[in-house]
Order: sequence, then C-alpha cells, then structure tokens
Amino acid sequence: MLRFLLQRLLTAIPTLLVIATLAFVLLHLAPGGPFDSDKVLVPQIQHAIESRYHLDEPLWRQYLRYLGELARGDFGPSFQYRNTSVNELIAQGLPVDAAIGSAALLLALLLGGATGLVAATRPGSWRDQLPMGLAVLGISIPVFVTAPLLILVFAMRLHWLPSGDWVAGSWRHLLLPALALALPYTAYIARIVRAAAIEALGQPYIRTARAKGLPTHVIVLRHALRPTLMPLVSFLGPALAGVLTGSIVVEQVFGLPGIGRLFVTGALNRDYTVVTGVTVLYGALIIGFNLLVDLCYAWLDPRVRART
Amino acid sequence: MRRTRPGALVAAALLALIVAAALLVPALSPYDYATPVWTKIFSGPSVSGGHLFGTDSLGRDLLVRVMWGCRISLLVGIAASLISVVIGVCWGALAGYAGGRLDGVLMRTVDVLYAVPFIPFVIVLEVAFGRNFLMVFIAIGAVSWLDIARIVRGQTLAICEQEYIEAARALGVRTTTMIRRHVLPNLIGLVAAYATLAIPGVILFEALLSFLGLGVHPPLASLGSLVAEGANEMQANPYLLIIPAAFLATIILCLNRLGDALRDALDPRHEEDGHG
Amino acid sequence: MSASAASAITLLALAACTPGHDAAAPAAGGAPAAAQVLRRAVDAGGMRSIDPSISTDVPAAHVLDDLFEGLTRLGQDGEPAPGVAERWETSADGRVWTFHLRAARWSNGAAVQAGDFVYAWRRTVDPRTASDYAEALAPVRNALAIAEGRMDVTALGISAPDERTVRIELTAPTPFLLSLLTKSYAYPQYEPALRAHGDDWVRPEFMVNNGAFRLLEYVIGGRVTLVKNDDYWDAAHVRLQRVVYLPLDRAAQTERFFAGDLDFTESFSAEQTAWLRSRLGAQVVSAPYLGNFVLGVNVTRPPFAGNRALRMALTLAVDRETLVRYVRQGLYQPAWTPTPPLPGYRSPVPAWAALPEAARHALARRYYARAGYNAQHPLHVELRYPTDSDNRRTYEAVAAMWRTNLGVVAEPYNEEFRVQLNERHLKQLALFHYAWIGDYPDPLTFLQLFQTGFGYNDGGYSNPRYDALLAAAGSEADATRRLAELSQAEAILNEDVACIPLYYYATRHLIRSYVRGWTSNIQDRNLSQYMYLLRSQAH
Repeated sequence: MLRFLLQRLLTAIPTLLVIATLAFVLLHLAPGGPFDSDKVLVPQIQHAIESRYHLDEPLWRQYLRYLGELARGDFGPSFQYRNTSVNELIAQGLPVDAAIGSAALLLALLLGGATGLVAATRPGSWRDQLPMGLAVLGISIPVFVTAPLLILVFAMRLHWLPSGDWVAGSWRHLLLPALALALPYTAYIARIVRAAAIEALGQPYIRTARAKGLPTHVIVLRHALRPTLMPLVSFLGPALAGVLTGSIVVEQVFGLPGIGRLFVTGALNRDYTVVTGVTVLYGALIIGFNLLVDLCYAWLDPRVRART
Repeated sequence: MRRTRPGALVAAALLALIVAAALLVPALSPYDYATPVWTKIFSGPSVSGGHLFGTDSLGRDLLVRVMWGCRISLLVGIAASLISVVIGVCWGALAGYAGGRLDGVLMRTVDVLYAVPFIPFVIVLEVAFGRNFLMVFIAIGAVSWLDIARIVRGQTLAICEQEYIEAARALGVRTTTMIRRHVLPNLIGLVAAYATLAIPGVILFEALLSFLGLGVHPPLASLGSLVAEGANEMQANPYLLIIPAAFLATIILCLNRLGDALRDALDPRHEEDGHG
Repeated sequence: MSASAASAITLLALAACTPGHDAAAPAAGGAPAAAQVLRRAVDAGGMRSIDPSISTDVPAAHVLDDLFEGLTRLGQDGEPAPGVAERWETSADGRVWTFHLRAARWSNGAAVQAGDFVYAWRRTVDPRTASDYAEALAPVRNALAIAEGRMDVTALGISAPDERTVRIELTAPTPFLLSLLTKSYAYPQYEPALRAHGDDWVRPEFMVNNGAFRLLEYVIGGRVTLVKNDDYWDAAHVRLQRVVYLPLDRAAQTERFFAGDLDFTESFSAEQTAWLRSRLGAQVVSAPYLGNFVLGVNVTRPPFAGNRALRMALTLAVDRETLVRYVRQGLYQPAWTPTPPLPGYRSPVPAWAALPEAARHALARRYYARAGYNAQHPLHVELRYPTDSDNRRTYEAVAAMWRTNLGVVAEPYNEEFRVQLNERHLKQLALFHYAWIGDYPDPLTFLQLFQTGFGYNDGGYSNPRYDALLAAAGSEADATRRLAELSQAEAILNEDVACIPLYYYATRHLIRSYVRGWTSNIQDRNLSQYMYLLRSQAH
C-alpha cells in the first residue's frame, strides 16, 4: 500500500513538470505581452517594469527561474494585479471554489443517489422514466444555460436568493452557484446509481431478502447501497476534476472571486504567472483527486486491495 | 449483442432531420445570416412576420442563424472527434500491439496527460494561437483522445491474443501491415461508438469557449455563441436563448442516445452505464 | 442634421434632466434612509490596483475618487471644486499656480501637508515606480524628463514653500489643470505608510487616505467595501455610511439590478435600452460622455496610404444615424469629427454630413471608383476590434454598410485587446478600433492622437500644418483663441480623413429612484460622498 502511494506520488512530479512547461511555453508563444497597454509607455518606464518582472531576461533564464520558484511552492508575482503575488490570489480564490465545488458534489450525490435508488426499485415505471428522462436533459444542457436561468427564476422573479456575489459562510450565496454546477453531475450520478442498483437488486441474496418479506427501502438501504458505491467512486475522480474546472463558468455567471475567473482574465491579459500557477495547481489537484479515488476504490474492493 | 433501444432510432431520425434542415434551410431561406435588417431588430417569433424563430439584435433571421449554428457546431464536433479518434486509435493500437516497453511509455504518457486540466489548456491554446477557427477543433481534438486510446489499447490486446493473429505473426507479417489488416478492422465498430459519444462532448466544449468569448468569429455563429448572445438578452427576448439552447440540447441528447446504443451493441466489455 | 439624430439628442437631453440633481433638498419622497449603504457596480476586469500612482482603469478610479482627494475635487455638478486646497491663484502667464491648503486630515488623524503632494507627484513620475501615468503629469515642468530618467525627481515643478502651500510650475498654460488635479495621479500620499509597508500600503489594514471614505475590505476581482471616514474635512456633508463596489460584467449588472441587489450600475447593454426604459422608466439614466467611437485608419500602409479618395469613400458610406438609431437604440450621438461636443468649442462638422443619404452614397461610390475599386475589383479589408459584444454589433453593422453601399468585402475580426494594442502600436493594422475616452474635458486630449510622433498615434497621421496649429494652441494664453485654433486643426483632420468617426459615447446607468445626490456629467464620475438614499424605498 505504502509502495503504491509512493510510486504514485513520484510519478506526479514529471506530470507536473510537463504541465508547467506546456503552460509556460504556450503562453510565451502567445502574441501580446502583459504590459502592452492603452497608454504607450516611455521606453525607460517600459524597461523599468520589465526588469522588475525579469521579462528582459532570455526566455530560458525566465523558465529556469520559474521552475526554481515553483519547486519552492512560489508562483511568483501577478502581472496584472500590481503588488500581489499569485499565491495570495490563489489563497483568496481557492476557498470560494472549494466551497462551491464541495457543495455541488454533495448536492449531486444526495439528489442523484436518491433519484437513482428510487428509479432502480421500479425499473420501467413512471418513477424510473421521469427522473431518468430529466437526467438525460440535465446532461445535455450546458451549465452556462442553466445558471442564468436559475438566476432569472430564483433571484430576479422570485427574489428568494441573491443573484450572485460572494459572502464567505453564507449558504444563501452558495446555493444557486452550487446547484448550477451540480446539475449535470446529479444526472450522471443518478444514471450510475440506478444501473448499479438494478444489478445489485438482481443478485440472489437480495431475492432471498425479498422472499423474507423485508420492506423495499430496507433492502435498498441495507443491501444494495454498498455495491452501488463502486462505480460511483470511479466516477468521482473525473467528477472532482470537472467540478473544479467547471466552476470557471459558474464564477463568470455569478460574478464570484474564484480562481477560474482569475485564470480567464489572466489568460486574456497575459498574466503569465497567474495562468501557469493556476494550471499547475489544477494539475496537482487532479492528481490528488485521482489518487484519493484509487485509495477509496482499493478500500472498497478487496480484489484491488490485494493487488496493490 | 444486446437489444437495440427504441430511443436510439428516434434519436437517429431526429438527428437526421436537424442535419437536413441545417443543410437545406440556409440555402432555401430568403434571409441571409450576416446582413442586418434595421427595421426588424428583435422581432419575436411569428409565422405571419416571416421569421419563424424571430430576429436577433441586428434584425437577422434567427432560424437561418440557428441552422448555421448547427452546421458549425456539428462540423466542429465531427472534425474534432475525428482528430481525437485518429490520434487515439493510432496510439492505442500501437501500444496494445507492441506491448512491452513501448506500451509502458505510451500508456504512461496517457496517464500523465490525464492529469492535465483540459478546459484551462484549451483556453491557453486558444489565446496562444490566435482565434483561428481551425484552432478551435484542433485544440479540442488534440486533448480529447485519451479515452479512445485506452479503450483501443484494451481491445487490441484482446484481439492480439487470438490465434489467427499469432499465426500471422509467426509467418512474419510486418507490424504496420498487421495493425492495418487485422487489428484496425476489428476496432471499427467500437471506435465508431466512442466517436459518436465524443462529438457531444466536443460540441459542449466549443459552446463553452464561445460563451467565454473564445469561439467563432462573427458574423458566423455556433450554437454556443448564439446561446451566449441569448443569455445576455434572456430577460428582454427569451426566445434568443431558448431556441438555440433547445437545438443544442437536442443535438447533444440525440448523439448521446445514439452513442450509448452503438456502444451497447458493439462493445462487449462495456457494462451498462458504467461511467459517463 | 437629420430628424433621427435630432430626436436622439432630445432623448439624451431629457434623460440628463431626470431626477437625482437635488442633493441638498430631499425630494417629496421623504427623509434620508436610516441605513445608508450604497451598492454600486463597476465594470468587471478592472480594479488591477488601487495605488493612486499606479492604477489606470476606470473601476479603480471610482473607488479612488471616494478614498482620496486632490487639491481640487470633482464638484457635484461635475466641475472641479476646491478640495484639499481651499483657494488658489495663478501667475499672469498661467504657468505658475499657488494653492493654499485647508486644515485637512489623513485617516490616521495626521494633517495633510503640502509635502504629501510633492511626495506623491515625485513618486508618480519616478521611473522606479514604473507608473503608466507618469506622462499624464506632462504639463508639470520637467515631468517627462524625469520619467525618461534624464533628470532627478527633485527637479519636478512642484514645491512646498510651507506646510500649507503648494506651488506648481507648468511648461505651458494649461486651462484644464484644475480638472487634472482631481485625478488619482495628483492625489497626496502619506509617506510614512508607504515607507512602513511598501507595496502593501494599499491594503485595508495599512492604508492611510484622505478622502470621504476609508477602505474596509478589498477582495481582488471581487467586492470592495468602504466606510465613511470621520476624519474627512467635509465629513459633515457625507451621508452614506458604507459603499459596496461590485465588479460585474454588463449583463450581470442588469440582472442584479432587477434582483434588487444593486442601487447604481456602471453600464447596461445599449441593445436593451428600449426594453429597460419600458420596464424601469426614469431609473434608466444616460447622458453625453467624454468619449468617441472612432475607426482608426493607418495612413502609412496600403490600401489607405496616399489614398484619400478611398478613406473618403469609406467614411461617406457609413450611415451614422442608422447606426446610432438601430444598433445603439438612440443612446449615442452620431459623430463626424473626433472631438465630442464641449462647452465653448465649435466642432468643425464636414459639409457632407448634411447631405441626404442617397446623395452621400452616390458621392461615396464616386470616390470609391476614383480610388481604383469597383465591383470586379472590390476592396478587401479586415476590421479588427477587441472582443466585446457591444463592439461586435457596431462592427458587424459597419461591415454590412460598406458591403451594401460600396461592395467592399469587409470582415470583422475580433481579437483580444492586448494583442490588438500591440499590433496597433506596431502600425500593422490598416483599420482598427480607435475609441478614446478623454482624460480631461478639453479637445486636446482627442486631437493629440493625431500629432506627429505622439505615442498613441497608431494611424501614423502626420501633417505639418496640423502640428503647427496644435503647437500654437499649446502656448496660447487666451482660452477663446486657443479653442479656435484647435477647431481649425480638427478641420484639417476631417479634410484629410485621418480617421472614421462613428459616434460619441453616452453614460448609461441604472439608478434606483431612491438614490439621490448624483449628477450626470461628461466625465461620468460620480463621487459617493454626494449621494444618499431616501427612506421611502431603501432596502
């Protein structure tokens, strides 16, 4: 087990190096520089700014400097937000994404799980077909359509919830963005849970339980829940990554100060350090999530546990 | 082989209808997708007014624009999926067939790329290489071949274990010939299924880019850029959002259905709804 | 001027007269509300820095307007009024100004002294500060030489003869100086705070400022919260207890306003004007704004180099009234010259502006033919513009007009602002987005763009007669004669078709009817210190 962990962590390093290099190279290939502005600068001032950020050095020196700082966990100073480091920007933005992402995933698990289980108890009935039909719809409508519609209904028409903004710790500000982000995952989870539960409910021991006259909800909760967790866990890896990067849209629509929006404005403004920093962070998080999921999987499935 | 779902037939028919409309309507309609009509700005959908879907902020017929949007979105979807299929199949088949060290290197590369955050990467690609229409799908295609590579590798391994392949190998048939003649033909059905499933993902991806302002150039429109435009007008003129969004959702839904059915029919290993 | 343009102007004038002017006397609505919290939106993507020497964007300028005060401040009527300086005098030649400070205090209680201005201005022009705005202080003696590193900062033409007197020496008479002094780069700065905290001095916990509000919270890319500053010299007249700034894109601002989460928006989409008016009535506020929307023409490269006929054809073929009326829903005023209307300034509108549409199109086609183009050999041209849905519609419309009126093959092509600026400065673009917001209410801020060798002259226009007129105006002490010379210069621009003006901007806000104390003004600066909420409807 420990060897498996170590091995995975070691392979993460070249992966991150590849990501960091790709981001660095691509961004420096891009036309336009971070300090091309509306105002044409006096050459001396332009030079002063560039040397402040080491932009006057040859590219390979910039690259080595960047890798060195990265190794120390320092993402460097932001170019677009003067007087601010990328680490500070991330420290400020990440909690927003973490809150929305975990709330969204929780919502998706609860809503999707319940729907899937209910649907599985009576396959083919309206209790199956209606929610599953909705689930297909949920997968097919992009977040940037559902998010504005949620605002239109719940904020502008009904005035139940705020239309955006971010107040740390306020569930009312969290709910709509989390819901918008959760919808496609809810749909996926419902489908996965339904399929797994139907298979589980077809097993002989369940039929035995049924024959004993146990009520359906007891059977489902006591016997069918655990086997359905397996495919769910393997879905969680991509889902976590998706929620993380998918929040770019949600942040945009709801005007939230998360790192996704930071990333997009950074890319458009050639804020090299923000873009590379956020990309590397995303990569590290995705690696972490996948590792976590594999560990869960191993814990749930004795066969995998034995192999590692 | 499993039973085919009745839904798949409906999906295929609907898709055919949309494709036909996308090809025919712009050709037959008296309206142009690009030329503004000043007196008709924001006229709502109506049969008598001549604009079934209404007009947009420059008085252009929304029906024609949506049909053009379907063309562009489907084109992007198919082209990018093709790119990802080509890369994925070559990569996966080579890895599965060669085995050993090469397999290890190729699949480790795939593992590494799996950790690359795709949305941010495509955004950086778009920004770096200018907003070239071609770049949109090259970028998407180049980052979405990983799943296919894995699946193809697995299939190739299974095929290679069969006796006639071993026999051919023993006869000294060249690797490339082997892959071309024996491995690839056996993969076609499976690849077709996964390619169909890849298209909706790509279309959504392009729509996301358009939403962020990184998509096609006006006056051209994709469904994504039409939806993004409509989202801004959501209150005053909801039809500008609802109509393109409905087409987008229908196309995605049909492609998913069709892909699911193909996969169920052609992929013996796939478990029902294993993962999205 | 055609009927449609006239009606557009009437609309604007009406809008400018709608409520909000009566700060001193609360209107019939009743007494001020108890909770004086103003929720203001600013356009997203700005607020890069709130350091007065460094910040350049409009959203940050709004926040700084509330946090700091210069020698003068923007009065409620939009004109410069006494700020930290209570009075001033100027020398006969208009080149030396002396300002006498009132007893104003910093937010930590220390007195605002003349030296704080000297310190701040030197910091702005110091090349080590790397301020984008060093050149904005160009009228001050030696400012440019210092910014270019040729002189020491102590040579700057600002001094403090005593603690309460600031003396400013200028290179030329500068009629708009009082307006410049209200800007962020002319604020005083508190040296001990900068010494103690370096770049971090702008953080809420360290900032020492002298304006009507102090900084409570600053979320990068997010909310900025200000609270009333009781140490402000005019605090007795400040009624708002708190101001919350929210950076939001245009569509979100409108949504939030409808959701009841905003009191004062920065902008709305021009396409929605009619619909918004139908829903919100007088809460939709628009007035002329000191900015133009102009297409830049590169006269140094083909197809426009040495081809005045072609430039003439393109400018004649644009139907400005149509553009303003249908694409901008009557919000803006059509433009035939770069400089927007300014008091006392005679705008040299070209004679062809009065032609009926058909005659103008015919003339355009004649010029087009003379330039060597026809249906078989049409002009192919790319219209580069920065990504923004507002820009997009205008460019699509102009391209369509050229297509239908002349047969030009014009392709709108959007790209990121940064990329475009770079290409513009390198003079790689034939036709480009050249919209400009004036730095101060004077024609010079627009006309400078066409001066030979001027940093932002991206079209490469150069005409010795034009340069001579600008130079003459620069040393002219008489204000009327100066404006007349500038007007003559602008007429030369029109004659040479140095650019293709489309329309003048208008401010566009959604403002709740219970918000009082704001005034529409040409610089679109609304200081929160004058605003307050009526009790009747406040949240």
